[in-house]
Amino acid sequence: MSANVENSAVAPGLESVTPSLKNAALLCPGALQAARILHTGQPSLAPVPPLPEHGRKVRFGLIPEEFFQFLYPKTGVTGPYVLGTGLILYLLSKEIYVITPETFSAISTIVLLVYVVKNYGASVGEFADKLNEQKIAQLEEVKQASIKQIQMLLIWRSHSRHWNNIAMALEVTYRERLHRVYREVKNCLDYHISVQNMMCQKEQEHMINWEKETIASCIADLKLLAKKAQAQPVL
Amino acid sequence: MQDFTPKGTAGALQEYDNKYVNVKKRSFAGLSMVLAAYKLFNYCHSYKEFKHKRPRKYH
Repeated sequence: MSANVENSAVAPGLESVTPSLKNAALLCPGALQAARILHTGQPSLAPVPPLPEHGRKVRFGLIPEEFFQFLYPKTGVTGPYVLGTGLILYLLSKEIYVITPETFSAISTIVLLVYVVKNYGASVGEFADKLNEQKIAQLEEVKQASIKQIQMLLIWRSHSRHWNNIAMALEVTYRERLHRVYREVKNCLDYHISVQNMMCQKEQEHMINWEKETIASCIADLKLLAKKAQAQPVL
Repeated sequence: MQDFTPKGTAGALQEYDNKYVNVKKRSFAGLSMVLAAYKLFNYCHSYKEFKHKRPRKYH
């Protein structure tokens, strides 16, 4: 009876959990965060910081806010606007920017684009956000499921260690008792052997004594007979 | 803006990505800045043939 609880069954369980997250498509922002947290084998990739909520502010959809902040100390609020207007007028008047038919097509395209983005941008953004949320929720589910699985594996492992100790204690007591039984049986058999030896010895001694006695009595009888025989011829 | 090596360019692209593109609430500005830069680049590249199409002679 040797109950060996195999702990190697835990390792394959762990191995099967992590590849499923590795292969999850990182298609939406935030998915990287959700997937990276379980990879503990790469210490250089520290916990990835959460994604920023909004991008940096951009004015007119083209010029980042930092440009305005950069010019603010010297020229105040209207500085960049004046710069922009002056630049555009300069480019047009010196004909560095040439007005061609393509200019008009570009203007109409840009107007249409601005109109579409202004009116339908918000709803499209919400739709995309909903899709993102769904993907992230899916990945979160997978992550929670794998966390639970690993927790259960850990609990099982600790319990199996406990059972290992109990099994070893049981085996130790079993072996102790076996040894005791062996010793008792050996004692019994030794006792029988010693009793037999003693009986033999006693019988031998008895035989020797008996023979001695008979011989002695025979000798005595013979002596008597001899005496009698001696006495008769004299008569 | 110091190294134009491929690694530096990739790093700059990644910075731009992290600031304007890969955020939770995406906006059109992330894409439009790239398109405007592309348009400007193409205009500068084909400025030579635009020079001859000027409507006015003296400016």
